[in-house]
Amino acid sequence: MLSRVNFTLRPGSFHFLTGSSGAGKSSLLRLMYLGLRPSSGTITLFGRDVATLKRAELPALRRQIGVVFQDFRLLDHLSALDNVALPLRMAGAAEAEIREHVVELLDWVGLGEHLDAKPPTLSGGQQQRVAIARSVINRPRLLLADEPTGNVDDTIGMRLLYLFEELNKLGTTVMIATHNEALIGRFPHPRLYLDHGTLTVMPAGMTPSAAPPTPSPALPTSLTASVVGTGWSR
Amino acid sequence: MFRDRLDLPLVEDATGRFMVWIMAVMVYLGIMALAGALVLAGMAERWENGLTGRLTVQISPQPDDLGRGIDTESVAPLVQRTEVALALLRATPGVLRAEAITLAAAHKLLEPWLGSALPDDLPLPALIDVDVGQNTQLEVPALADRLARSVPGARLDNHAAWLDDLRRLARTAQLVALAVVLLVGAAALAAVVFAVRTGLAIHSPVVELLHIMGASDRYVARQFQAHIVGLALRGGAFGLALGLATLALLHRAAGAAGDAATGMLPAMALTPHQWLALGAVPLVAAMLAAVTARWTVLRVLAALP
Repeated sequence: MLSRVNFTLRPGSFHFLTGSSGAGKSSLLRLMYLGLRPSSGTITLFGRDVATLKRAELPALRRQIGVVFQDFRLLDHLSALDNVALPLRMAGAAEAEIREHVVELLDWVGLGEHLDAKPPTLSGGQQQRVAIARSVINRPRLLLADEPTGNVDDTIGMRLLYLFEELNKLGTTVMIATHNEALIGRFPHPRLYLDHGTLTVMPAGMTPSAAPPTPSPALPTSLTASVVGTGWSR
Repeated sequence: MFRDRLDLPLVEDATGRFMVWIMAVMVYLGIMALAGALVLAGMAERWENGLTGRLTVQISPQPDDLGRGIDTESVAPLVQRTEVALALLRATPGVLRAEAITLAAAHKLLEPWLGSALPDDLPLPALIDVDVGQNTQLEVPALADRLARSVPGARLDNHAAWLDDLRRLARTAQLVALAVVLLVGAAALAAVVFAVRTGLAIHSPVVELLHIMGASDRYVARQFQAHIVGLALRGGAFGLALGLATLALLHRAAGAAGDAATGMLPAMALTPHQWLALGAVPLVAAMLAAVTARWTVLRVLAALP
């Protein structure tokens, strides 16, 4: 499905990932958050070749990657607070510390009043902010978002993107998959354009029609991979 | 406390109610089988203790003893023959004690079957209770031989055949009980595997999400373990209560039968340790369920990247 995909993300960079539906954006993200293994190629995360890691070492690596989904993927039976607390609990943090951090972060994304609200009682924008808070509570080094504005209106979408920029300024490497050209136009970030499984890197402001491929220098998070087939068997 | 914030909404699953019932029934069956085995072992031990080290000499009445004398010269009366046998027994090395059972005592033994108004001319055999202790070097066949030659109608019974039957019965019953416990346990664990796999299938999106977020397999397994242990303990408590109630009922029934002076049913006595063992059945079941749940989750999750 993906082939000849070859790129490197500089630490602290901000990229959009674009391409038509079915171009393989989600598969590429899955490769990056280790939800999928490449059938060939090399994925290097934070300077480590993923293929050389034992399976037991992967959870710790995954915890350094925050993921935001188009459909939020919150746990409906848990409060906003407990949803955001999940990554900390997985990492074995103390309860007192967890509460302090989560309350602070939910306050920061403007949901300080909704700590105990269950996701179904929140609006789409609010749910996505809970999801973003959950993805960054662990201070991830890499934040991946798959169509994060797909289920909210443009005003909310803008606010979410400002949130991602804030996080990026704090040092998190960000990659956002989207096909919302209007939003991309307002933010001066380079984009990775995926077309028929092939990736092109374009500087900020350039659109796919006028796209000279840009070779990127080899830096910590890089991916040279191809994938045939997706999904895990149960 | 942990239950309130299980990441997986397992508490809402229908499999939960089903697991409680399965566990209740399994623990109940396990307790009944175990109690049966323990009671049987106790009975067999008591019978054996009562009978080993004891011999019984039985001297059958001969035609003369019945007062229809045909050949009065040949055989001494039963009372005299009993005295001869007693003397012979008491003179035998290894015999600690030999006592004739009185006619009154013999009548009492027969009372449950024949009633209290026994006719005087009932041809009862004379019985001698012989105590030979535990580690006697006594040669039972030789003694039997001598008795039979010196005392017409005398027969020595060392209860060996009866004891062998008893031991075999007890052993077989215990094996059956063990097989029942094993089968019940296997069925309960199969139910746990089924419930856990169902839970994993129902909640696969959440399981996959947790996996992506960096949850270790053990973290996910702990959630299932906590859930299953909770269900198993609840079911187990129910099964234990039901089991103890049944045992109490049986105990009362056996006690009533024992009071009816038949002496046939020994009391269903269990030692405090044995009661503890029965009480531990739900705990052991919950522990096995936890281990099984963990193993099942880890096996399924191993398929994730």
